[in-house]
Amino acid sequence: MIEARNITKQFDGTTVLKNISAEFQPGQTNLIIGRSGSGKTVLLKCILGLYEADEGTIFYDGRNFTDMSQKERKNLRREVGMVFQGGALFDSLSVEQNIRFPLDMFTNFSNREKQDRVDFCLERVNIPNTNKLFPSEISGGMQKRVAIARAIALNPRYLFCDEPNSGLDPETATVIDNLIQSLTKEFNMTTIINTHDMNSVIEIGEKVLFIHQGEKCWEGSKHTILDSGNQTLEDFIFANKLYAQMKKAHTGNPR
Amino acid sequence: MGRYFWMLGKVFTRPERHKIYIRQLFNEIEALGLNSVGIVVIISVFIGGIMTIQLAYNLVNPLYPTTIIGLGTRDTLILEFSSTMLALILAGKIGSNITSEIGSMKVTEQIDSLEIMGINSANYLILPKIVAVVFIFPFLFILSVFFGLLGGLFVGPTVGVVTVTEYIDGIRYMFVPYYITFSVIKSLVFGFLVASVPAYFGYFVQGGALEVGKASTQAVVSTNILILLFDLILTRLLLA
Ligand SMILES: Nc1ncnc2c1ncn2[C@@H]1O[C@H](COP(=O)(O)OP(=O)(O)OP(=O)(O)O)[C@@H](O)[C@H]1O
Ligand SMILES: [Mg+2]
Repeated sequence: MIEARNITKQFDGTTVLKNISAEFQPGQTNLIIGRSGSGKTVLLKCILGLYEADEGTIFYDGRNFTDMSQKERKNLRREVGMVFQGGALFDSLSVEQNIRFPLDMFTNFSNREKQDRVDFCLERVNIPNTNKLFPSEISGGMQKRVAIARAIALNPRYLFCDEPNSGLDPETATVIDNLIQSLTKEFNMTTIINTHDMNSVIEIGEKVLFIHQGEKCWEGSKHTILDSGNQTLEDFIFANKLYAQMKKAHTGNPR
Repeated sequence: MGRYFWMLGKVFTRPERHKIYIRQLFNEIEALGLNSVGIVVIISVFIGGIMTIQLAYNLVNPLYPTTIIGLGTRDTLILEFSSTMLALILAGKIGSNITSEIGSMKVTEQIDSLEIMGINSANYLILPKIVAVVFIFPFLFILSVFFGLLGGLFVGPTVGVVTVTEYIDGIRYMFVPYYITFSVIKSLVFGFLVASVPAYFGYFVQGGALEVGKASTQAVVSTNILILLFDLILTRLLLA
């Protein structure tokens, strides 16, 4: 479980995150949603320690991450996998070398074992036989999959995904969402996903945290989100015409 | 300034994995060093040749011995061209390469990616580059002197401003070995600048591809200014 307590973050005097508290349980997909610029990425980076929060505390399964020394943080990060918004694959390395990279750095596996692990991960994300290609030679959807494969190479306890399906067609996006969800269940990871895609919310939103202008505005799940009664949240959701119509069909009331 | 030294502090720590560090180091020596040999040879041959002609036209009158041509070419190469000018040229080639590589890794979050894995990104990416460039620079200096002299030897007699014997006599006349030591020290310092300053510009770039391009240009300009500044300082300290 990951717990964020009263996180506040400013950039040059502008408050980007205001006093955000949340808990993220293992074995389920936890979603952070909100408009572009609402602070999702900054929150994720604060939880990861890529940004220092100005106030507040982060706990990883009860371990106080905020007060850890650099060295302790480094050790904890070996339990973390991250899929960045743009994939962030090492473009000088082939697909296979990308996934091998964490294994080379942090394990004493033999070559055989590393190879097996790479093949396992690639198969798990459903792109076997791309081993020798370079990131520039594969599609955006495949890059995301490779990024996921790299993130799970070391069997992390915590998985972070920043907009894992942005820029993908709806079908591929769903495939990626489901992949992340099934990996989360399979390895009982604590998974946090940033998204502004309502399809993802309806598909895998076991827990949903809605952020608006840097504040926690609503918390719930895909089962409760369409009937939240929260005006700001509804404005966000029903900006999408399809959902407005679904709601209308459901209740006879577009708002 | 503060950030530059903060970065160096992060760079100069013990590498995570020795084997991987050594592999990186050899890659960098090849990518940054060996790939510069061609340009160094070409430029040095031309400059050596041109310098010989210039010296012959400008300095030779009946009062000076003809050995001055070889001597002048040699000392100019050793003291300034093959150390300082070459560093300026390589700052353009190697420096912009380093900034754009590290900068694009920065803006595409590859550096964050390393940090998340618990890897000291500055150490992992920059240390092998600095070590490789500092290591290769003195060799490029020697290479440049050698090919510069060869250029003079070829061009001088060909255009008829000096004979082979006069030129070689000049090269051997009043040779000061300390000049070599002096310039090797300079090239070590310049090598450090050519790797670390552009690395700094790349490591702290923010934005996208456009900013990476701008950072490369800035990096080359700043490196050049620093090279000249240190040339002045070192010459004052070690020579005059
Ligand atoms: N390094 C930074 N320096 C200054 N301001 C920043 C920085 N990073 C983010 N911000 C600001 O913080 C706010 C939140 O940004 P953030 O990237 O978290 O948005 P987001 O919700 O992830 O949006 P998107 O969906 O577009 O990715 C924005 O107003 C942004 O300008
Ligand atoms: Mg974002």
